[in-house]
Amino acid sequence: MSNINGKVYAMNAVTPMKPWKTWILRVLFWVLGAVKPLQSDLINLKFIQFARWVIVPAGGFPYLGGAQKRESLRYDYLFFFSNFNGTWNQYIDAFSAVLSDGLNMIWRWSEKFPGSVPVTAFKSYIASVQYDTDYYFTAYPQATLNDVEAAHLVNQAFGSLCQDAADQTEEQFSHAYLQFVIACQSHLGSTGAAPMVF
Amino acid sequence: MPSRNGSVYGLTLLCPILNDPAAVPSHDLQIRDHLATLSRGADSMFALAPGTHLARLVVLDDVVYVGAPACEEHLKSKYLVFESNCDGDRDSYLTGLAKAIPGELDTIWKHCAGYPPGGANDLARFLAYMKKCEIETTFFFAPVNNKTVTETLVALRNKHAIAHFIAQHQGVKPAQVRASILALRDKLNAAPDPKPAAVHVERTMDTGGRNE
Repeated sequence: MSNINGKVYAMNAVTPMKPWKTWILRVLFWVLGAVKPLQSDLINLKFIQFARWVIVPAGGFPYLGGAQKRESLRYDYLFFFSNFNGTWNQYIDAFSAVLSDGLNMIWRWSEKFPGSVPVTAFKSYIASVQYDTDYYFTAYPQATLNDVEAAHLVNQAFGSLCQDAADQTEEQFSHAYLQFVIACQSHLGSTGAAPMVF
Repeated sequence: MPSRNGSVYGLTLLCPILNDPAAVPSHDLQIRDHLATLSRGADSMFALAPGTHLARLVVLDDVVYVGAPACEEHLKSKYLVFESNCDGDRDSYLTGLAKAIPGELDTIWKHCAGYPPGGANDLARFLAYMKKCEIETTFFFAPVNNKTVTETLVALRNKHAIAHFIAQHQGVKPAQVRASILALRDKLNAAPDPKPAAVHVERTMDTGGRNE
């Protein structure tokens, strides 16, 4: 069992919410989804490959019948699943430093959330509501989000270059190749080793 | 649809685990024991089946009591949580899993309440069961949301080859560069698609604890 596979960490957190607060959070998530610029800080951190929030209402835990007992809960539950690069401490520190308003907007509706600043109490809270992953798979363990984005950029530029190359004069191709190298030069690094923890 | 972001689907399943006092070890422990033995490489179940970018399985024992003034409560069942970031949609993805790795799915999900007796080979009931266990994602964040698993693996492989090409062709005349780059393109296009999880990443520590 490990929360880590290659360069990706799987975090799972589950927090209780009073049901009347859930609808506020649903509206906030809807706004976050509809107004893309609100996601810019999250996108620019560039270390989350995929993340999701899932609200499970008190009566929403699947009931399959038979001998299973139906849940009887007071709270709705906010599930958070993240796939991020770097260490747990780097992740929480970055969120606290850069996205504190956004984190507070999402988790203030969860019971006993202390706020994302100061970070020590925030880390204690996250550690208390976090569950370890029993099995974690990634199709590209050697690649961070930056590696994936760089690969697509380089591959796309390569395809464009090759598409026109056969019909160009030597001078035109020389210019196009130079532009290709300039565009790709920041994205050619190898995927490198996974982060070490001492 | 909030479970979808671009071409990537965020599948979240909560599958109640059988609560049989006569089972020794208990079904949740059997799941954990089995998951601990599974490969995560190119021979792993999600590598053999199509369409999985990243996926996890978590045995959820109970909800957490965060302390007063919150009230303490407990789940009546444990749940197997399956979170997958995949290509396609729920049914096409799960159909792919069922056709490629039915035995592996049954070995895990046979410990869950309501799992069809015919397992993954009874496709209609298997899909119906998974649909009942699905929880719609409320907000799904996916910065790269328009590439399939294969496209991503091909791009990662090609980037490595292209970087090597650029380094090797510094100072070479344009005519030669053009001929060589078109040959590289043809070679890459003809190469078989890279397999998922085929690249092993060395780590001296793999515990993944909360302070790592």
